[in-house]
Amino acid sequence: MCARVEDVAEEHGADEDEVGERDDGPTDGTGAAGPDRYAGMPADERSLLEAFDLLAPQGSLRWNFDDAMRRISSPGDSPSGIEPWPGLPADLWDRGRGAKASERVLGDVIRIVAQELTEFTLRTVEGSQRARDHHVGPAFGAVWDALRYLAARVERLEAATDPTGVRPAELDLPVADATAWAGAIPGWLAGSGDLPAVVGELGSPAVLTAVAAGGASVEAVDPRGAPAWAAWGHRADGGADPRRLTVEVADVGDHLRRLPARSRSAVVLSGGVDRLGLAGRIELLDDALRVLAPGGALVLLVTDQAAWDAALVPEVRDLLPGRPFDPATWALLLGHRGATSVDVHRAAAGVVHAVVARTSR
Amino acid sequence: MTVPVGSGPSPGADASGTGPTTLPAGQAAPTGPTGPTGPTGPGIHLFVPMLHRRDAVGEHTRTLRDQLVASGVPSRVYSELPDPETVEETRPYREYEDDARPGDVLVYQVATSSEIARWLANRPEPVVLNYHSITPPRFFAPWSNGIARLQEAAEAELAHLAPKVTLGVAVSAFDAAELRAAGCPQTRVVPVATVGPTPPTPDPVEQARLAAVAEGWGPWWLSVGRLAPNKAHQDTIAALFVARATSSPDAHLTIVGAPSEPHYAGALRRYAADLGLAGAVEFVTGLTDGGLAARYATADVLVMLSEHEGFGVPLVEAMAQGLPVVAYDAGAVREVVGDGGVVLGTKGPRRVAGEVDALLGDPSRREALVAAGSARPAALGLDHAGTDLVTVLREVGARAGGPAAAASRGAGVRPAAPPSH
Repeated sequence: MCARVEDVAEEHGADEDEVGERDDGPTDGTGAAGPDRYAGMPADERSLLEAFDLLAPQGSLRWNFDDAMRRISSPGDSPSGIEPWPGLPADLWDRGRGAKASERVLGDVIRIVAQELTEFTLRTVEGSQRARDHHVGPAFGAVWDALRYLAARVERLEAATDPTGVRPAELDLPVADATAWAGAIPGWLAGSGDLPAVVGELGSPAVLTAVAAGGASVEAVDPRGAPAWAAWGHRADGGADPRRLTVEVADVGDHLRRLPARSRSAVVLSGGVDRLGLAGRIELLDDALRVLAPGGALVLLVTDQAAWDAALVPEVRDLLPGRPFDPATWALLLGHRGATSVDVHRAAAGVVHAVVARTSR
Repeated sequence: MTVPVGSGPSPGADASGTGPTTLPAGQAAPTGPTGPTGPTGPGIHLFVPMLHRRDAVGEHTRTLRDQLVASGVPSRVYSELPDPETVEETRPYREYEDDARPGDVLVYQVATSSEIARWLANRPEPVVLNYHSITPPRFFAPWSNGIARLQEAAEAELAHLAPKVTLGVAVSAFDAAELRAAGCPQTRVVPVATVGPTPPTPDPVEQARLAAVAEGWGPWWLSVGRLAPNKAHQDTIAALFVARATSSPDAHLTIVGAPSEPHYAGALRRYAADLGLAGAVEFVTGLTDGGLAARYATADVLVMLSEHEGFGVPLVEAMAQGLPVVAYDAGAVREVVGDGGVVLGTKGPRRVAGEVDALLGDPSRREALVAAGSARPAALGLDHAGTDLVTVLREVGARAGGPAAAASRGAGVRPAAPPSH
């Protein structure tokens, strides 16, 4: 800033005659901190004082979010017996799997916050109904504000981590079409057990069909809510059994995290494994290996790097978070995370390679 | 109930009420541990959210307790939260429920939010609000929504408690009006008890050092007050900027005060730096009484542009030290300064800079103001504010039937000022 007061006056078109002092007499003794604080003041002096006001943090997303959270935490004098929101859980970041603002972790954290707020809202409603008072309105308003500002903060974070604002789904990326491996998949899963299998992302109908055709109960997970167009399982005798297929609209990581350890025979992953950062991929591997029963199989259907790169213009390729790993890299990671055997199947044709790992019996 | 003289602790009993000391009335009582047991008889007990040292409310509370004890009235300090520095002087306020005696009077030191307020509202004892002014939340809202919400809560608590109390004691008519607006049925004005009529002696070493530092400077402005938004220190910095750009290129400003809101305190420093005043504006905190007195003795003018003042202790300190005052007419400022300083109805930077320049350039006017200012502490009754407050509280105690009235018979305190309305 470092301006002279005369400069300020000139900048605002005021001359010395215009900036004469006026004494409006004593105030009402209450002072003022509102927008009228500089009422009647010459433009240059107003500018000088307003420069200080700009240093106040009010109005930032963080300020508004914190403010909304405080209103939830301290709803005021409530005879309804509504308990204040106890605040963010102390293990928020642990449950969110770390403090990195990756897409995955951020999603975890936000999910927890949203869940906590939802539970608080339900308690508020119950308390209000008991007391039939009017406290539910402000509480709802505070929750709404908190989520609104949280969403805005997330958008800002996303913009910071993904400056192009381009979502992979919007790009003409190679589809992880594993049709070429459909015939091989039942063989890879054979002997992995009778427990259900998990198929993450419904990118390729052939994969879902192939897993189901092997006789396993199938849980399909699709974050985009794609219809379960392949929702026909097949019993071992070859008959159709639609009840055996469950499609969940969720992130496959979320789904895996909720499953008990050693509760699945097979996990087939595609799509997201090409787009996550390293930390996210390792998390996903760990989650998948954890839910696999002894002798279970993990199948990764990964996109060929050259095909991926060829599908994108250089700027998007450089700025887009995530890029497929070479199958050898996956094999290395799987070995480090505890898989006992890893087989790499490179595509002779097409753009999808397969990496098959097993857990020890 | 009227308890005869001698049934409670004798005059000079320590704060715990556990035994007599040979302490004349008016002398500070020991401030050490209060001991684990409750008072032996009815008393006047003080409640404060936290008891801080070197804090206006904290020092007022400790002084009042000592004066009560010195005049023979058992008095303890109960707090919501312990301050490690004073933990041995306080008890958790909930423990009062075990200590309660018929005839007790409970005095709540109000300045911020505390759960004590709603608890007191349900107590059967007479409650006196000793009001130290609640800074309106609008001042903090741009800087800290946490503090703003706290102040909102404090206002709500005041509105809840005020109609139920026996008496509200305010440090100024301005504060008394706030108490009445909150629903307090009766108020009295007793100025701050911790400001005596005799100013502290300047630390001579510090005074000499400051004089050497200021050699060659132009006018030395002084501003004293917490770095809190309602103090509006930025207006003083802006006025200094104008003064240096126009009439006094070598003017300097010292702001004495502890940060009470870190964003605001940081913004003040940045503002000064942005205006090119980093070398002309000094921020000082943690001064001793002698060190502060040395600042008053060395500076040329106290500039106080605060927008909400329940009393304005620095105004009185400056006037007592012979330092001319230029202040903005907000809150109790005009009431405290009277004719002892320049009180401005507006505070645009040019106006403030011009007033300071005119005052310092007119020696006879300056001397007249200093002379008038030096009479203000006595005019405000600061020489007997402490005993006045004790007397007021005893009167409440007497009406409650406690021993406070009996103890007062031998203490020779002045009668209290009449109600302010």
